[in-house]
Amino acid sequence: MAFPSPVRSARSMAWRRRRTAFADAWSVFRHNKQALAGAIILLVAVVIALLSPLLVPPDAIDPASATGPTFAPPSLAYPLGTDNFGRSVLALVVVGTRVSLLVGIAATVGAILFGATIGIVAGYYGGGPIDRFLSTLIDWFLVIPWLVLAIVLAAILGPTLLNVIVVIAVTSWAMAARIVRSQALSVREQPYVERARALGASDAAIMVHHILPNVFPVIFAQAVLTVAIAILSETTLSILGLGDPSSISWGHIIEDAFNGGAMVNGYWWWLLPPGICIVLVTLAFTMCGYAFEEILDPRLRGLEKTG
Amino acid sequence: MRSGGRLRASAGALLVVAFVAASVPGAAHAADSASPAASAAPKVLRIGTTTAIDNPNIWAVNSTTEWEALNLQYDMVMKFGDTDLNAAPSLATGCDHSADFRTWTCTLRSGVKWSDGQPLTSKDVAFSYKFAIDKGFSLFSGYFPDGTTFSTPNDTTLVWKSPTPTNGPMVPAWAYVVPEHVWSKYLGASSKQITSADVVPVVSSGPYQMTSATPGQNWTFTRNPNYWGTAPAYDKIVYQLYTNQDALVQALKNGQVDIADALDGSVLPALQKLSNVTVNKVVSDWWVNLAFNFGGRGPGLPALQNLDVRKAIEMAIDKQQIVDKVYPGAAAPGQTIVRPLSKFWHLTVPTDKAIPYDPAAANALLDTAGYRLGPDGVRVDPKSGQPLVIRMPVSDDTAGSDGVGQLVAGFLKKIGITVKVQPVTAGKMYDLQQSGDFDAYIWYWSGDPDPNYQLSVFTSDQCGEGLSDGCWKNAQYDTLFAQQQTTFDQTARKAIVDQMQQLVYDQVPVVVIAYPNAIEAYRNDHVTIADRVPQPDGYILPQYSVDALLSAHPPAGDVAVDSSPGLSVWAWLLAGLVILGLVVFFVIRGRRSEDDLDRA
Amino acid sequence: MRLRYVARKVGWSLLTLLFVLSANFFLFRILPGDPLALLARSQRLAPSALAKQRAIFGLDQPLPSQFVTYLHETLTGNLGVSIISGQDVASLVASRIWPTVLLVGIGTGLAAVIGVLVGIRGGWNRGSGFDRGTLYGSLVLYSAPEAWLGMLLLIAFAGTLGWFPAGGYSSGTTTGLGQVADVANHLVLPVVTLALGYVGQFVIVMRSSMLEVKEAPYVEVARAKGLSERAVRRGHVVPNAFLPSFTLIVLSVGFILGGAIVIETVFSWPGLGLLTYQAIQDQDYPVLEAVFLLSSAAVVLANLVADLAYGYLDPRIDEV
Repeated sequence: MAFPSPVRSARSMAWRRRRTAFADAWSVFRHNKQALAGAIILLVAVVIALLSPLLVPPDAIDPASATGPTFAPPSLAYPLGTDNFGRSVLALVVVGTRVSLLVGIAATVGAILFGATIGIVAGYYGGGPIDRFLSTLIDWFLVIPWLVLAIVLAAILGPTLLNVIVVIAVTSWAMAARIVRSQALSVREQPYVERARALGASDAAIMVHHILPNVFPVIFAQAVLTVAIAILSETTLSILGLGDPSSISWGHIIEDAFNGGAMVNGYWWWLLPPGICIVLVTLAFTMCGYAFEEILDPRLRGLEKTG
Repeated sequence: MRSGGRLRASAGALLVVAFVAASVPGAAHAADSASPAASAAPKVLRIGTTTAIDNPNIWAVNSTTEWEALNLQYDMVMKFGDTDLNAAPSLATGCDHSADFRTWTCTLRSGVKWSDGQPLTSKDVAFSYKFAIDKGFSLFSGYFPDGTTFSTPNDTTLVWKSPTPTNGPMVPAWAYVVPEHVWSKYLGASSKQITSADVVPVVSSGPYQMTSATPGQNWTFTRNPNYWGTAPAYDKIVYQLYTNQDALVQALKNGQVDIADALDGSVLPALQKLSNVTVNKVVSDWWVNLAFNFGGRGPGLPALQNLDVRKAIEMAIDKQQIVDKVYPGAAAPGQTIVRPLSKFWHLTVPTDKAIPYDPAAANALLDTAGYRLGPDGVRVDPKSGQPLVIRMPVSDDTAGSDGVGQLVAGFLKKIGITVKVQPVTAGKMYDLQQSGDFDAYIWYWSGDPDPNYQLSVFTSDQCGEGLSDGCWKNAQYDTLFAQQQTTFDQTARKAIVDQMQQLVYDQVPVVVIAYPNAIEAYRNDHVTIADRVPQPDGYILPQYSVDALLSAHPPAGDVAVDSSPGLSVWAWLLAGLVILGLVVFFVIRGRRSEDDLDRA
Repeated sequence: MRLRYVARKVGWSLLTLLFVLSANFFLFRILPGDPLALLARSQRLAPSALAKQRAIFGLDQPLPSQFVTYLHETLTGNLGVSIISGQDVASLVASRIWPTVLLVGIGTGLAAVIGVLVGIRGGWNRGSGFDRGTLYGSLVLYSAPEAWLGMLLLIAFAGTLGWFPAGGYSSGTTTGLGQVADVANHLVLPVVTLALGYVGQFVIVMRSSMLEVKEAPYVEVARAKGLSERAVRRGHVVPNAFLPSFTLIVLSVGFILGGAIVIETVFSWPGLGLLTYQAIQDQDYPVLEAVFLLSSAAVVLANLVADLAYGYLDPRIDEV
């Protein structure tokens, strides 16, 4: 047994408490129409992303195997028209779901893991030299214009999918860190943290077992909001030509359309669908994120009830 | 309440600041451009371009448009001729060589003057060449063998003395003659000081001189009153920058520009709908290639050193489909390494020696060579048991590179070769090329009208830190290269150059995938342009020589001036008044409610 | 406002600038490739000539000595010359500032004014049709990539309808007042795109601080004094709810360049954003460095202004 029994029972109590909190949160969430709509959109998007290899055979999006007419407007055979290679835009949008979500979520996981770690450490040592150093670092990263930094990093690292994820993570961790830090600062003052310290728990153990579970809800809400930003960031980087040209994301389809004369020739069917997908999914993440924030901060309850 | 009042006051101050800021530069612009009306309206030719018009300084030339500006203003001793870009008289009426090709004597026209009235003599020529060499402007100095000296026995004679035999003046040397009386001030200056020197208005000898420049927006050229040739039809030429294709096409449609330069193929469908627009697809002066790594700098996939594998790859790539999908309507399938623009030197491979697109034959060739299909559909090298997986970086500075990369990968998959496409920046690509850390790559080549530079790239001594793509080495090729360098008879040299092109084609160190066209377009109801450089399918704009543009003239009768889209001055004034009215209304209403507040 | 507060904020800003300066230098020294070598591919540059070119740009010196030179040069306002065009970077950047300020200034201003007004009305009449419609509209606009919005506007208003120019700063064919109108016409679509892209956040921030302030005790007190609803709103709620929006506006001004890159690229508006995009394309590092430095400095400055203004407007800061 790694832990003495008093701590264990305290933990199980905490878990029970958390379970009730979760049930409570779910009921708030369920009654929030925006959040529910967002969740449904996300569910559909995730299902499409997972099934995309089945829905679209690889040949349909291989430029060398595409057989359709090029730049064809929507028709029965191609409900959303075709692109410069004669590929169905519908197929591209379906396949793009996977990469866009992947980049959004992976970048967020990276950003949140890093940001939350920094935030918890800074908050735990609040006021000390470690906190001062980390807080300054956070502030610096909040100050540097993210797009310019992202452009420089993307130019350094080269345009691959992994690098795009890294670039977005590097430019979006600081906000999460700042929020987690302030939350951790207040958790640190709680009596049970004092008690754990008195019982001789190490700093690391306190951070993992006491601070983390208590700041986790904040982290989660922040993560959901970060995904929305990450998906938009991927789009912006792709449009600037800094995305991975060999993997199809929604942003990449827009870039292709932009460079392929969609505007001057009026190929609206090439430009419109990927953008609508981005709006829907970003909106869904944002609405869910707001709903979670509302659950965490009951003061907000009712404020957003308007819709 | 306190803070409310203060905020309103500061918002008011902000508004005033914004107004001043907005109106002052506008006023300055207006004052600038309100020049006294000329007696007769000058004839202006408007050219829209999409490539940078940043630095009008000759020593900093970089973009397509900047090269065009040089040809509008400066002369070469011998120029690129209209028929095949071989040397033709310009400032010099001709150049003669000694028997050993080491001494050249060029005879210049007499009575030529700079735009500021100073005479242009052989001293200017010698100065220009020496300046380029001494200051390290290698774009221009590369045409003079090391140790070349210039002398000027009189004002119209220039003598080149080279330690080695050279064809220099007749390449022709792509170096412009600049005024000594302007640039001699910079003899002691650093390159940085020279390239950032302010040069407008330019002292020129060609048909035009730049008289004003707004970097990143437009350049205005005025006719050079002292031009030695036939006076051009237009008094002014204005280059306007449009950084996206759509804006340029719209400007052409609306008649804001007469000629559109540096268009790309994506706008062709929109242009071809317009009957008053003539599209000029320029014979290609660059090519996209797939280059193989032969391991001279770093190891590549060994199978690619097998000629059969390279041939199979050449056969498997459907170049026509790449042209149709990546450069629709604006490229030709590629073949040999001297670009088609160099009409005299470019070789079209005879049909019986051509390697046709034939994926079935490619598969058969690989089968025979022993590269059997593995269980996963990927062929396996019989010697090493290694699967044929190619790491293929694709450089992002190559137009259409993404599409080409994906298509090549798709075609090779069909013959059992897996391609891992790695998109990279051009900087990264350079590192990869220098370290040999790739199996094959997609990049591009462009060069001089004369084939020497392009051919040199494939010689063995360009391995190491040189320009060679993948360190292909071929002794026969090297011998031929040396031979053509010292063969001064055009027909004899052409025979050697043909042999070299055929050799590269047969040995496939690179697959020349496509020859993309440059695209120009003009409003045929605004301007008539008869010539091209080279004839009949070359450039209108002065990329190599100004001759085609000099043939431009307004059509007989009036040119209809189209209105630009948007609101008129009056509509904007009205809109401004309405907004001002609304602001005043709300401010007064706000005051009144604040009075209510104070009363209460 | 205490002097110590001001001093601390100014000191922090200077420290941040120093960080930006060094980050700027080291980031750019580890970039792959040799921008000069690339010229060889298109421009007949022999490899032997490259060494000479490198010496011209100081790229052949060891890193530490490059850093010292860099600090000295940057602090004296010398940002080097563009590798691509050979122009002085400082003057190149300076020539692009005005169009960006014009575009982003008008666009952000429009977004702020509309956003704040809409937010006030929505927050005050929470749950009304107006509130619901504008809130959803704001969320949708906030979720739409600006570049994409711009492209749609281009297709519709420049392509299909042909009402406005498809890009650029002016058509170069007009003079005097006509030129002012011409520039204004070129401004319409990018400004509308920028305003649409930014208006959402202003609505959301203003609305939620309205909701917060509306319930504050002193508002109740004002009501109890018998003030009309309108007087309460204008005199008590709005001025106090405006603080967060004010901060957001000042910070947006700092992020002026970030917002401009994408929109200037889509509309080929010849400002700093387009310069940045072209520098990415050409890998013109000295220009990118200058842009990075300038844009970071703008944000640091805006932060400082926001902090100081906040301290001035909100007396509670004195105690911090």
